[in-house]
Amino acid sequence: MDNIYGQYGLVLDVNLTSGEIKKTKISKEDLKNYLGGRGLGMKILWDRLKKPGIDPLSPENILMFMPGPFSGLPIPSSSRTTIVTKSPRTSPVTKGYKHASTVSYANMGGFFGPEVKFAGYDGIVVTGKASEPVFLLIEDDQVQIKSAVAYWGMGTESLDKILIEKYGKEYQSCYIGQGGEKMIPYASVLNTAARAAGRGGVGAVMGSKNLKAIVVRGTQQPNLAKHKMYLDLLEKARTTFREDTEGVGYWRSGGTAHALESSSNAGTMAVRNYREGTFKEIEKINTKAARTQIWKRDFACFSCQLACKKSGFAKGAYGGVVHDGPEYETGTMLGANLLISDLAGMNKLISICDDYGIDIITTGGVLGFLMEAREKGMIDLEFLDGIDLTWGNVDACIAMIHKIVRQEGVGKLASLGVKALSEHIGQGSEEFAIHVKGHELAAWNVNTNSQRMMITYGTANRGACHLNSSSPSRQNNNAMQDSLGACSFAGRWYRDDISYRNFIEAITGIEQTDEEFARIGERIFNLEKMFNYREGFSRIDDRMPERFFKDAHTYGQGKDILATHDDYNKWFDEYYTERGWDPKTSKPTNEKLVELGLGFMIS
Amino acid sequence: MKNTNSRRDFLKKLAIGGGGVVILGKYHFLFANQAKDGILKAIVVDFDKCTGCRTCETVCSAFHHPVEIEGETFHGLGNPKLGNIQVYHYNPDADIPSVCANCPDTPCVNACPSEPDPLTGYGAIYRDKETEAIRTNHHLCISCGSCADACETERTGVIKMNPVTNHPEHICDHCGGDPQCVKYCPYEALSFREVDVDKAFFGMSPQKIAEELFERYYSGEEVING
Repeated sequence: MDNIYGQYGLVLDVNLTSGEIKKTKISKEDLKNYLGGRGLGMKILWDRLKKPGIDPLSPENILMFMPGPFSGLPIPSSSRTTIVTKSPRTSPVTKGYKHASTVSYANMGGFFGPEVKFAGYDGIVVTGKASEPVFLLIEDDQVQIKSAVAYWGMGTESLDKILIEKYGKEYQSCYIGQGGEKMIPYASVLNTAARAAGRGGVGAVMGSKNLKAIVVRGTQQPNLAKHKMYLDLLEKARTTFREDTEGVGYWRSGGTAHALESSSNAGTMAVRNYREGTFKEIEKINTKAARTQIWKRDFACFSCQLACKKSGFAKGAYGGVVHDGPEYETGTMLGANLLISDLAGMNKLISICDDYGIDIITTGGVLGFLMEAREKGMIDLEFLDGIDLTWGNVDACIAMIHKIVRQEGVGKLASLGVKALSEHIGQGSEEFAIHVKGHELAAWNVNTNSQRMMITYGTANRGACHLNSSSPSRQNNNAMQDSLGACSFAGRWYRDDISYRNFIEAITGIEQTDEEFARIGERIFNLEKMFNYREGFSRIDDRMPERFFKDAHTYGQGKDILATHDDYNKWFDEYYTERGWDPKTSKPTNEKLVELGLGFMIS
Repeated sequence: MKNTNSRRDFLKKLAIGGGGVVILGKYHFLFANQAKDGILKAIVVDFDKCTGCRTCETVCSAFHHPVEIEGETFHGLGNPKLGNIQVYHYNPDADIPSVCANCPDTPCVNACPSEPDPLTGYGAIYRDKETEAIRTNHHLCISCGSCADACETERTGVIKMNPVTNHPEHICDHCGGDPQCVKYCPYEALSFREVDVDKAFFGMSPQKIAEELFERYYSGEEVING
């Protein structure tokens, strides 16, 4: 057998239907070509789901928890775990298959991925469906499927406390709340009760398998190919972070929350269901407000120098809960987008969503859509089961979130997301149903930077995604980064001497040029694209909500700027061409697939 | 070829290099003697600064569990579980690094029933005259767990019995005077300073410290980072 360094060449394979637990080999070639994390997960997804149209919430779907080659090593900011599956969130315009959907990937920080690596696995692959609620208990080679009946119905906050109490410091866990149990399509998976793999409905897939939690403890680490080179790089990386007090200080002092104010000022914020780009009450929810009223402590993920997690505690009617936030996405989607400026109320909303385990970005999108439909008279109080969803109304948002997760009345419809809601409501509401492929947009608004944001959201393989980036090269880079276990917030420091490529050489022994290394991200992105194409997604599915061609912001920076459909077509033509994809269908050409070593995807 | 670095393997490695490796060069492990100035020192944690990143665990582990490559010894990969310092995580958020307090009255040493070595005068657990750190001698250890019990009931509880060897572990040796955790903590939460039994949190268990921090941060009484 080939020597594999820095990884094990093994995934833990658990079939919850049969109860079979085994280790499955991963080839050295796949580890080289797809690294780990998102990339390796996608390769396994393609290999295992042999036909399109598989119901994402059926036992046939597979759910993967993927650390990367960096995981478990104390390389600064390398804590991420990517969860990969077939999405329960997305659907194409033309449905050839009833359950057609895209790939899904969502990633979380914390401590879970490193522990999976310590347990001796490059990933955990879950298939099938348990007959009753279960959780996985992994202790190196000892793997048990245990009853989770006692945990079913619990929120993530209570469960996290119980697992800490029961298993102690040597174990790490991730889990779903009631959102995942009820298979709310936008349910999330959480680690440490606050770090969420929020997007793409990964929690719903976990719930569909009756899998409440994974608890893991490990004692192993794989040998590295070039140990001394790795130690040199590690020392340099640590020094690089330590010496950049300003850059690191940005994250420690506020992290993404700093963008609440800067984005609002730049007119790039999602405000009033994306109708505007500037929030007039931004000073009530910015970092200064959070620092003085809510934030108590800064916390870091495994071996991270940035400490961007802020534990908050508010006073007053909405106070009394200890929970993270706000950061940029949560503060915008449950703040500015709903015209909520009550910081404590917003923090309460964040804590409720995380406790239930539902995606805060989508939840904010759904609430904003309903508020606008109500304002426009398309739906009334009766439609909303008496919940007075008006702009800025925290209590109404709380009531609606409860209804969504409890699957009561209008909550059941709202739990399907804005695409389904707009199809149900009709009356032209599709124009302000802010989603791409059925996946709601995140907190960065479009109009002020239409070209960048349309490419970012339109071409993301999991449906609208703000982390996708706006050019092929950056998208490829992000796909690679997600496959290392590295955090995108720290990517800017990994250049020159301490490039990701150099770390990979030290860890795995694989020597490659920058061009060869860049191919990895491109390969992963194209593989995802081909999965989606096989499901029936094509160019029309990259379209943007009509709002971004009709409703220019009426005030603030970027006021009156609007893209046209011609602009859109030109930008996307250029994008597909640059990608080596057929501009008509957006399908990667066979030449491109062969060039990337994806010839096996040509049918 | 994979290295299943079980605890046993790590312990073997530790036993091989345990006495005090002195290797010069870039990755030197200098177990040089601390300045013997009669001042008892220990790793002291500023709990307000700790963010729970666990860098301390990894650098401690990497230093104490080196790897040998072609006859040369290097820092290991740093599995955090093998650090002598251990960070306990709680919900609500509090992360508590727990490390040997180097108690002046040594409850662990006092509890040890082993016969001292007649040549050195040291028992299975003792305060080293040179470094003034608490050290162990596994050859004299009878695996009774009295040191761990004493630490657990009277102080931090940092001493644990290794489930494989049944000898005490996690006792801080100050890395011979240049503690790696202090050097590498990105948040300057750790310092190597004179033991002060009157200082808040001295010798307390992580659970008790966490309870006090919950009160400090999350009772609504004051804003810390204002």
